[in-house]
Amino acid sequence: MSFLQLDTIKKTYGDVSVIKGVSFAAAKGEFVVFVGPSGCGKSTLLRMIAGLEDVTEGHLYIDGKDVTYEEPAKRELSMVFQSYALYPHMSVFENMAFGLRMAKVPEAEIKTRVTEAARILHLEPLLDRKPRALSGGQRQRVAIGRSIVRHPKIFLFDEPLSNLDAELRTQMRVEIAKLHRDLGTTMVYVTHDQVEAMTLADRIVVLRAGLVEQIGTPTELYDRPANTFVAGFIGSPKMNFIKASVTGVGSGSLTLANPSFVGGTLSVETVSTGRVKAGDTVIVGLRPEHLELNAAQPLLSLTLDFAENLGGATQLYSRSEGDIVAIVVHGRPDVKPGDTLRVGIEGRHIYLFDANGLAL
Amino acid sequence: MRSKSGILLHAIGLVLIIAFSLFPFYWMVSSSFKTQAQILASPPQWFFTPTLQNYADIFADAKVVNAIINSLIVATSTTLLAVALGTPAAFALARYEFKGKSDLWFWFISNRMTSPIVLALPVYLIAMYANLLDTHIVLILIYLTFNVPIVVWIVTDQFKSIPPDLEQAARLDGADQFTIFRKIYLPLGAPGIAVSAIFSFIFSWNELLYALVLTRRNVQTAPVVATSFMSGYELPWGKIMATGTVIVLPVTIFALIVSRHMVRGLTMGATK
Repeated sequence: MSFLQLDTIKKTYGDVSVIKGVSFAAAKGEFVVFVGPSGCGKSTLLRMIAGLEDVTEGHLYIDGKDVTYEEPAKRELSMVFQSYALYPHMSVFENMAFGLRMAKVPEAEIKTRVTEAARILHLEPLLDRKPRALSGGQRQRVAIGRSIVRHPKIFLFDEPLSNLDAELRTQMRVEIAKLHRDLGTTMVYVTHDQVEAMTLADRIVVLRAGLVEQIGTPTELYDRPANTFVAGFIGSPKMNFIKASVTGVGSGSLTLANPSFVGGTLSVETVSTGRVKAGDTVIVGLRPEHLELNAAQPLLSLTLDFAENLGGATQLYSRSEGDIVAIVVHGRPDVKPGDTLRVGIEGRHIYLFDANGLAL
Repeated sequence: MRSKSGILLHAIGLVLIIAFSLFPFYWMVSSSFKTQAQILASPPQWFFTPTLQNYADIFADAKVVNAIINSLIVATSTTLLAVALGTPAAFALARYEFKGKSDLWFWFISNRMTSPIVLALPVYLIAMYANLLDTHIVLILIYLTFNVPIVVWIVTDQFKSIPPDLEQAARLDGADQFTIFRKIYLPLGAPGIAVSAIFSFIFSWNELLYALVLTRRNVQTAPVVATSFMSGYELPWGKIMATGTVIVLPVTIFALIVSRHMVRGLTMGATK
């Protein structure tokens, strides 16, 4: 049996349905990331696991036990809040010790555990300080420390890095990954940042409007997105989508037409030829980082709008006939706005979706 | 950056306001050290040899000493009870949803909308039938009806400003509702509780109407006794002012003690 299991969990507020039936299971020690745009219900789902929100329908199991209606404290979870939620009138030590005191852990044991957590998180010199005397990154560490000391079955993180500046965010991301490696505890992490999801997760759950869009490893989601939503959400800059009409269906290949294609048509190899017929509309997905300039066999003919120099790489924004296509190339290509770009891609990097956005 | 003239005007304004509010206070205190002739002298005597005779007179008067003790008993008990009863109510109003919550809230506020004199007669009759006239308890009870709403009102607002995340973090940490109230809300609500305690104390200490109506001889409070000097054929200004000064002192001391809890930004650092 899975360590953490959600069985058709639903949540409604009055008439508003926020979570519309989420089923999912995580193994012990797994790092699971819930990702999705704001309002998709990912934080609500996490808070339901924590017990801070009631479950309207469905069941929740932790370590084989039904905890759907269990008190938060009895679920043996700990949570790092987006706002940190440190107790402002207590020192760093007392903040971390609070949960242990509630659990009536002996004082000597409390001291050992807090000191240990402080060592892991480099908080030793700060133990006597109040939260207001800490920087954002330090507060974040204290919030994590408060979770660690309780040796929970599962760590919950609710967008823990969203209040930090970019540099600190990267640093803390690495530290959380290390923490997971060292502690080996199951972690559930909520974020709207697909980079955090990709880098931290063993498995990602992509949510939209209270429903699971896809569950898979970061690589699976990147290589085989189930639909255009997942394809667009995972990867940065986001995938380019070009609508094309099917003009011919061969055995193992499709012929597609769009004025952006060099020569007006494109032949794509696919195994899903049975699901489309001539005249259908399909969506062609192309990741910006897979596109190459000056290809031997160009696929798209585009006009450059403007270029962003990122130092090591350049992002090119180009267009043709109403389609806007972003391209990421290494180095600094010698192009200027208005230039015609002849862009190619390897056949295996072309994604195809039907008119409803489902992967072909 | 403000200009120098701006700062100067600001300072002058402040001095004027301070002078305006402190002058009556000064007049009371200085008069309490004057003889009747010095008090009535015109133009006023700014420089005089202070006398302690007025204080000697009032402290020799058992009535005054008793009144101050009565006031202390009533005001302290009222304040303690108001805070003890009001803060849990405020916690419930600030953090829980329950049926009739808004009505209850309105009831707390509307308690203060009635003019006290309107209720003086009914309260008197109730106290009389309950055999409570001229007791500490009747004053404490009636003052509580005024002070509990004030405590609830101020402290609810204070509690609402505490981030709900803190309570949820504490719940996950295993704290029950009472522990959350005691360890999170009481310490973080201290500024509001302090303010409401000061209000309670001052109100109970200064209240005259009900004290006059509901007491006879045994539990007369300080304001009642101070006004009692004004009867008869003379106005002993020195004694009145000395009594006034003595009445103001405990409130001032209480406010000074409590005000150190009135620091702002207590919840700073809880959340980003």
